[in-house]
Amino acid sequence: MRNMWLIIRREYLERVRTRSFLILTLLLPGIMTVIMILPAKLASMGDKAQHIVVVTSSPQFGETVRQRFLAALTATEEDDEDTSDAKPDADTSANAAKKKPEQDYVIDVDSNATEAERAALRDKVTSQAIDGFLWLSDDAIASGKVTWTSRSMAGFGQRTLSQALNRVIEYERLSKNGVSADQADGMLKPVKVEAVRLERGRESKGSGGGKLLEVVIMVMLLYMAVLLYGISVMRSVLEEKNSRILEVLLSSASSTELMAGKLLGVGAVGLTQILVWVVMAGAFALPAMAMQPSFSGLQISPGVLVAFAVFFLLGYLLYSTMYAAIGAITTTEQEGQQLQFIVVIPLVLSVFMLSAAVRTPDAPAVVWMSMIPFFAPVLMYARIVVQTPPAWQIALSLFVLIGTIAGIMVLCARIYRIGVLIYGKRPNLPEILKWIKYAKA
Amino acid sequence: MATLQPLIARSSNPAPTSGAAGTVVLSNVRKCYGDFVAVDNLSLSIPPGSIYGLLGPNGAGKTSTLRMIIGIILPDSGQVTVFGEPLRRAHMAQFGYLPEERGLYKKMKVLEHLVLLAQLKGLSSAEAQKRAQSWCERFELTAWTGKKVEELSKGMQQKVQFIGAILHDPKLIIMDEPFSGLDPASAVSLKDVLLELAKNGKTVLFSTHRMDQAEKLCQSICLINHGRAVLEGDLNQIKAGYGYNNVQIKYDGDARFLKETRLVESFNDYGNYVEARLAPGADTQELLRLASAGARVSKFEVMEPSLEEIFIAAVSQPAASQPNA
Repeated sequence: MRNMWLIIRREYLERVRTRSFLILTLLLPGIMTVIMILPAKLASMGDKAQHIVVVTSSPQFGETVRQRFLAALTATEEDDEDTSDAKPDADTSANAAKKKPEQDYVIDVDSNATEAERAALRDKVTSQAIDGFLWLSDDAIASGKVTWTSRSMAGFGQRTLSQALNRVIEYERLSKNGVSADQADGMLKPVKVEAVRLERGRESKGSGGGKLLEVVIMVMLLYMAVLLYGISVMRSVLEEKNSRILEVLLSSASSTELMAGKLLGVGAVGLTQILVWVVMAGAFALPAMAMQPSFSGLQISPGVLVAFAVFFLLGYLLYSTMYAAIGAITTTEQEGQQLQFIVVIPLVLSVFMLSAAVRTPDAPAVVWMSMIPFFAPVLMYARIVVQTPPAWQIALSLFVLIGTIAGIMVLCARIYRIGVLIYGKRPNLPEILKWIKYAKA
Repeated sequence: MATLQPLIARSSNPAPTSGAAGTVVLSNVRKCYGDFVAVDNLSLSIPPGSIYGLLGPNGAGKTSTLRMIIGIILPDSGQVTVFGEPLRRAHMAQFGYLPEERGLYKKMKVLEHLVLLAQLKGLSSAEAQKRAQSWCERFELTAWTGKKVEELSKGMQQKVQFIGAILHDPKLIIMDEPFSGLDPASAVSLKDVLLELAKNGKTVLFSTHRMDQAEKLCQSICLINHGRAVLEGDLNQIKAGYGYNNVQIKYDGDARFLKETRLVESFNDYGNYVEARLAPGADTQELLRLASAGARVSKFEVMEPSLEEIFIAAVSQPAASQPNA
């Protein structure tokens, strides 16, 4: 135990003390912030008001169209957001926070529906005086062939446009048939579906999207930790083999102590880094996130937090152990990287299974996949988040997962111990199996 | 070539010299890697407080033997006994090991590294610090204790490694080719330390393929070839067993006496002097008389057989050296 602790301490201090650790720890959140904020900033910089001309046969109709169009554009934007997924439904207060459509669209009415005017408008579009014009003469409406002429579709999608236009025409047709504007509003009000989930008999309004987000955050963290520090475990195993220090260490400590110490030591480095990041994110991002209504619907129960911690740690340990095993059977980093797929494939597969797990957490395939240790960290956690599975399933999956970690660790220690004393080529599978059998002590 | 005959009959299998009293006793140890037999039915006994040399050409099985004594690898069959008990993990704290392939953490500072190695052997951090400092002083490494290992020259790294092996004051010091890579001055200070350790009652076991080194340092040796012990035991006894039948002669003048096949079986002219091998039963005094009759003899020395000669003689007699085969 003392030896393992000494190894853990060495591995930990050795890494945490380096300048690169400090730089990565402090700089990455900065880079992430820039990456997240910059595109939005850049996009809004180019966001000058769209100047649109609506050409109609009569100025009155033109004005109605303008009003309806602005109203419809607001409505369709909201619709877009609801249908497009993930984010929980925005409540009414969100509308106030939204940008006013008048700021985005300047709509002029032109009642001179002649071919000469059409040519003039085309020139204006070409010379960038206006962004586009909508040809909405009575003839065009009658024939059902309305044209939208612009340089590009950017910022003003065709779908948005035709949805808005349809609304305008619907209102127009209704009013022509003697329906007042108020009545039309009532008739055309879209219906919204609110998802209500029953959790132990209590209603919970969080949408599936919020749950998915909870899972995705964990998967992302796991991915990052495994990729950054799993490789680091592999590298340190390789370094030890190549620098031949292992032989000295083996004359003092057992290979299991060495391997466990290394895994836990390097693992602790990754956890430290992630902890720093989480704290930084909490300090800076949470207040900002809380203002965003789309995140305020995100409520994480303490049970899920515990599951998060447990499955994240175990997953991290499992995949790092697998990396250590790769380090143990290879001799160079290149060779090790070629074998990385052993770790990456289970991770990727569990991400593929993720949406199924969130949608149908009870499906037999999902249930059994979540028992397989290589998928359990992601899938069992996802199931817990969505719908608490029976206790025996959680227990079984934990049991198998921990057993697998311990098993790989012991095998690894054996391979490591023999592998380091043998020079040269990478062992093939029968050789590895022989080593495992051989190195019983 | 094969004229160097043992005067006393050797036992068919080299027997441990001091039985169970040895600090380390191997009995009939065998180790195979796949089809390759690295160590074959090896028995030896290392007397306490002695300097013991494990000799043999490259690939003879020296490193495998040392690793089995430390317990890094296990014998396929046979038994390793240390301090009178079968080898256990707990014994490791009493071993100081210098592997052939030196290995240190390159990014670690010298002093920290030494402290880590000593702590792994059970020393407290403070005690380890104190001892490491004093050993570094002795090996003139004080100026380097705060430097990273990778900044040191190879020879200096080797000294650090050596200090790491003896810092915890082990009872048994096991070194694989300790002198390789050291400059002459460092080799001398290493030798001095080894002698001092032995004088303080520690047992020192080292391997080398350089016979001359072993010849100077060791009280007992084991000569192995192809994983088998060719000779084992007290160095003086082994030499005595091979007799004194080499003569070094420095002369000026007639060299006809060297052609006297009744006395001289063969000779080797080194320029400054000639080494003559006597024919069986030849009298050294007769050769001296003959030489001085025709030439001015400035040196005439009856030589002990060198270990190298003994080794060559032993391995070139397969029937005698591998009686079980």
